[in-house]
Amino acid sequence: MTRSVHPALIALAVLVFIFLVGPLVIVVGAALSDTSYLTFPPQGLSLRWFENIFEIAAFRRTIVTSLQIAFISTGIALLIGIPAAYAMNRYRVQLPGWLSTLFVLPVLVPELVLGFSLLKSVAVQFTIPIYISLVIGHTLLVLPYVVRVISASLAGFDFSVEEAAVSLGSPPLKTFFTILLPNVRSGVIAAFILAFITSINDVSISIFMTGPGISTLPIQILAHTEQFFDPTVASVSVLLMVLTVAVMAIVERTLGLTFLAK
Amino acid sequence: MTQRLVLDHITAHYGSTRVLEDLSLDIAEGELVSLLGASGCGKTTTLRLIAGFLTPTAGTITLGGKDLTRLPAHKRDIGLVFQNYALFPHLSVADNVGFGLKQRGIAGEARAKRVNAMLERVGLAHLAERLPGALSGGQKQRVALARALVIEPPLLMFDEPLSNLDAKLRVDMRVEIRQLQRANGTTSVYVTHDQEEAFSISDRVAIMHQGRIMQLDTPEMLYQRPANAFVARFVGFENLIQMKVIAREGGNVTAEAAGGVRLSLSADRFGAIPDRFILASRADGLAVTDDPNADGIPATLGLRTYLGRAYQYQCETPAGHLLANGPLTRPFAPGTAARLVPVPEQCTILAPEDQNR
Amino acid sequence: MKRFAGWTLASPATLVIIAFLVLPVLATFWTTLTTPGGPLEPYLAFFGSGFRRTVLWRTIQVSLATTAIALVVGFLTAYVISRAPRWLKSILIIAAVFPLLTGVVVRSFAWLIILGRNGILNNFLISIGVTDEPFAMLYTQGAVITAMVYLFVPLMILTLAGVLESIPDDLIQASASLGATPAATFRQVILPLSVPGLIVGAVLVFTGSFTSYATPQLLGGESVMMMGTLMYQQAMVTFDWVSASTIAMVMVVITIAIVLAMTRLARRLNPMAV
Repeated sequence: MTRSVHPALIALAVLVFIFLVGPLVIVVGAALSDTSYLTFPPQGLSLRWFENIFEIAAFRRTIVTSLQIAFISTGIALLIGIPAAYAMNRYRVQLPGWLSTLFVLPVLVPELVLGFSLLKSVAVQFTIPIYISLVIGHTLLVLPYVVRVISASLAGFDFSVEEAAVSLGSPPLKTFFTILLPNVRSGVIAAFILAFITSINDVSISIFMTGPGISTLPIQILAHTEQFFDPTVASVSVLLMVLTVAVMAIVERTLGLTFLAK
Repeated sequence: MTQRLVLDHITAHYGSTRVLEDLSLDIAEGELVSLLGASGCGKTTTLRLIAGFLTPTAGTITLGGKDLTRLPAHKRDIGLVFQNYALFPHLSVADNVGFGLKQRGIAGEARAKRVNAMLERVGLAHLAERLPGALSGGQKQRVALARALVIEPPLLMFDEPLSNLDAKLRVDMRVEIRQLQRANGTTSVYVTHDQEEAFSISDRVAIMHQGRIMQLDTPEMLYQRPANAFVARFVGFENLIQMKVIAREGGNVTAEAAGGVRLSLSADRFGAIPDRFILASRADGLAVTDDPNADGIPATLGLRTYLGRAYQYQCETPAGHLLANGPLTRPFAPGTAARLVPVPEQCTILAPEDQNR
Repeated sequence: MKRFAGWTLASPATLVIIAFLVLPVLATFWTTLTTPGGPLEPYLAFFGSGFRRTVLWRTIQVSLATTAIALVVGFLTAYVISRAPRWLKSILIIAAVFPLLTGVVVRSFAWLIILGRNGILNNFLISIGVTDEPFAMLYTQGAVITAMVYLFVPLMILTLAGVLESIPDDLIQASASLGATPAATFRQVILPLSVPGLIVGAVLVFTGSFTSYATPQLLGGESVMMMGTLMYQQAMVTFDWVSASTIAMVMVVITIAIVLAMTRLARRLNPMAV
């Protein structure tokens, strides 16, 4: 095969991948350092900064909040996003064109603007608790991922199979669960994972939704770095990375990573 | 400008799988040779080797005496017509055709002139400014052809160029390709899995199987005198009867098949007959007769089908299941006991299969 | 009946988007139109302020620089990936996806460790004797651009790897058979066929940089204020919501204008769509 690539290009690609992976290696190294300041390569290996995470109440609290918000908002987004994606693929002709434009809006509107607008015109205006506002904001944040991924997996679905099932006497709702869902299962898993990771890492919306005793983990990390420069944040980052690796392993096992490139 | 192409003892691998084994091929100047075979037989691999998209693990490729084996594809100067045309979607028809000239530093007037002349020849001058996406399959094929021809390559290669066209267009296009190739006298390699296409268009055809050339010959010879059992089956010889010589008498030979069936064959027709051989024929190589004394294979006739020029019978014989033709004047009922008499002109003698494996 | 079924299924998500996205953002817009000074006053104030113009201009500069660097680096890397053997390809894609799935905060934070006064880079430079005093690399435009490039290159690689993957091998072989050198094939076939993908990637990176918050906050601070950090400051520190709303609207208009213009351009330049 003449797949020859110029050596200079290969060298460049190697540098790019060092550039991509290097900083994350540095974070891991810094997290393991025994020093009370951030340094790399680590001086003396220690897990004490990991223990320190759980000694700081704010970290304990925000980890729980972040996980809760991620689960709840992803769940809601799947609940409303799957039927929407289904409707837009199955009944495309019957639905007005502006509807699909509407579903693109959450991507078009900058997250910061969404966060601020939610704070100003929903949370403050109607005195909605911060926690609920966070759920609303994150649901909107992840909804486009859900709709897009589910739509992609529905694009290959032959809806006449469904009609065949109905013609054989299967009630519509049962058909949905027995015929359609199994076919888009991998799409649902991918949507869940993407949405979950997006939610857990979000800054731009959550930054506006903090209140007494309520914040998310990334916001807490930001706040902590502004005051302290110790390896705790590196350890939390590693914790988040481990979570990502775990999630990626699941994606890889179930769908293959190329799915994410779509 | 046309040159002789020689493949000398080529072996090629995909990873650790050997896909071509000690393949040699000598194509004369101006000749069109087809590589014919089922998918996976190595015909496309051979083409890719010649084009320079693959490198052989052993052997050499020379074109006009020049060694191409290690030369990168873009320096080989070979015109290639792809199965799915491979037209550049972002370039107009004229720019597609002019692409090769551009790479050769031919610009401006000179390029435009040659492109136009070429488009005239393939009858597409009026579509010069179109993008390939707006063309029909046949038009795309012509652009691909024009693009390969305009660089006046010493060698033209076609990779199943007609397989994406409908049947009618396929026949027209193959005539057109042959005319253009003849007119330029360009040495050509034509890869196809379609026997009719290969036979109709080629000077010679190489029938390939499992990375080897089973026979390289003119279409006439392949059709009438296959060299081995594989080629015989490939070109439609339905009856392959394993035989053993039991007596030689002057020029004549008596041979026995399974089930004690005996036939006498004349060396005048078949030349030197080895001790073990295969008597091969199509259905019209065995004539059905109800004469019980005829020198033929005893058979029980089965299903009869009407072919227009003859009746064809499924026959059960001690030598196995055979196909034979009978006269239109006398249809036989199923179950008739008959004899199948070999028609010497329609039969050929092959070496037993285990020897050419 | 079908229409009804479609609406029923789509309505919950539709209502959520209208209630919590469209209306609140419109309300933010409304805020800027109903000030005592009249509907244009906040915008005149925004563009009248030298500081804000500087911030806007800086944001555009940083975003353009990030986009340009990410385009070049991402495209060349994606090209190498597309030419790699299959087994290596998936490893490289994973290596590119992983940073993408790691959060913005974590990835920006990594550059704090690298670029800080006692950071890795300064320690290294001192140890090899380039300098005695650590350089002040944090809180500079360069630091923000570096981190943003780091942030967005994986996105660019993934977008472009998909585009390059969709270019049939046949075209590249056809080009070679017609005498084009690999460099000529790259310029005359691969590059023009990648233009739509390059535009999509550029839009993603530009809008992402233009509206970013965490990276300029961590690595730029007060001295490299960008639109995102300025808006946050107006909203949450000085509580000037009219000003914050104005900045928000400027961001929305610029983002949407760029997305619309560029997608139209991409569609026009897409030869495959003919």
